[in-house]
Amino acid sequence: MHRFLRISVLLTGLFAAVSVYAAESLQTTQMTEDSLGPLVEQPIEFPHNRHAGDAGKGGMEINCMYCHTYARRSAVAGIPPLQKCIGCHQGIESVREAPRIKKLFEYWDAKKAVPWKKVHDLPDFVRFNHERHIKRFVEQQNRPFQEVCGYCHGDVKEMTVARRSKALSMGWCASCHQKDHAVVAEGGTQIGSQAYWYTFYKPEATDGSTDVLKAKGPNDCWQCHK
Amino acid sequence: MSISNLLENWSQFRHTHPVEDKPHDPYKWAMSIDLDACSGCNACSVACYAENNLPVVGKEKYANGQVMHWIRIEHYWDEDVGEEGGREFPDQGAQFLPMMCQQCEAAPCETVCPVGATNHTPDGLNSQIYNRCIGSRYCSANCPYKVRYFNWYDYPSTENIWPAEMTQQLNPDVTVRGKGVMEKCTFCVQRLAAAKVTAKSEGRIVQDGEVQTACQQACPTSAISFGNLVDPESRVHKQWRAQQVELDKDKQAKDEKEGGTELRGYRILEDMRPYPSVMYLERVRESAI
Repeated sequence: MHRFLRISVLLTGLFAAVSVYAAESLQTTQMTEDSLGPLVEQPIEFPHNRHAGDAGKGGMEINCMYCHTYARRSAVAGIPPLQKCIGCHQGIESVREAPRIKKLFEYWDAKKAVPWKKVHDLPDFVRFNHERHIKRFVEQQNRPFQEVCGYCHGDVKEMTVARRSKALSMGWCASCHQKDHAVVAEGGTQIGSQAYWYTFYKPEATDGSTDVLKAKGPNDCWQCHK
Repeated sequence: MSISNLLENWSQFRHTHPVEDKPHDPYKWAMSIDLDACSGCNACSVACYAENNLPVVGKEKYANGQVMHWIRIEHYWDEDVGEEGGREFPDQGAQFLPMMCQQCEAAPCETVCPVGATNHTPDGLNSQIYNRCIGSRYCSANCPYKVRYFNWYDYPSTENIWPAEMTQQLNPDVTVRGKGVMEKCTFCVQRLAAAKVTAKSEGRIVQDGEVQTACQQACPTSAISFGNLVDPESRVHKQWRAQQVELDKDKQAKDEKEGGTELRGYRILEDMRPYPSVMYLERVRESAI
């Protein structure tokens, strides 16, 4: 009996010790509520909902491309320069004394860039191209920017500081690349006559009645891995 | 590519040399190397080290066969060198042959990988995925050209190959490989990917000369040409056609004629049927030195 008690006490102690250790080691990188990525604290709590949100909810409905302008013409979306923030905000007197705007102008006066932190950070061995995805879905498919950006970045116009809301794992990327997407939709621009696939799956006019050309995303390893 | 996709469509990933229902389109990257122009200067190898973040392993590891050169210059000496030979110096009569991954269409390395880390890409490259590689080294054992190199050490961290201030010179478009993975020449796939993206966004295919491999760029005698074999206007396509070398044949016009022929193009170990993507042009002049 005593031995049994001793063992159970020992096991309880061990369990407690392990869970305390696990809890402590987890706290080193705090995760978002749904564990989709590390919680990133920004130097200024940027309200995406105020800038990009719907007018009915007090948003300005600014296009994603106004600030994240590199996304449509290069591989990386980049960080908007401070000049872009100031360009608008020096003319907006009503919020000039707000604490976050004051902080923004402190960076401006000190001639220092705001040290924004990366939220959607892909591993170094992944090659991702923003331009291609925007060309594919915005230009060829005529879909709105907010929807297309949202495929990977979530509903940013509802967020304050952007946070990860998609898994951004390989399986998650591949789940979309395996789908048949129409190559050109109504109102979209046909880009290239034959060079839109690099996979073994050539686009096929699967639906005989509408003759819509469909294609899967690239599926060879070297397309994304480097 | 998920594991289920890999298993279900295995035959597609085991795709070998172009067959009628799956021709290479729009790209098939290929190379041709003029051995008559090659002077054995090793600039290609140096360029490759710089472009692809290759570790310089040092004398001791070199002697152990752990060198990581993706492109190497092989030396061959004339047979008559020796005591009775007609040459004054043994170094005379050297022949050089740059050897890198031949990106075989029916690659012996691909079929033996236990985890599918090395696959064929639709543009005719033999891809190597470091994340999937478990380091069985079976591919290297099966490679007839011996151009696969294994990371026996963790060069970036434990071997201090790139000290802190030198990490700035690493190419960000190429992974710095860790311990326990196989690596090999990629035909500078990072450059190909960038060129393809530009071309695709402009609605065309990559034009000849738009993309160069690092070795080609560094070659002082322009011995290396690289391009899209599908494109009839490309230099590589023209060279292959002039030499009557065909990608999906294991016997070329040059082999069928007895004795002398004007054709110089050949591929190495062609009769083993790996269908390599690199054509060499035989040396015409007597000796490199």
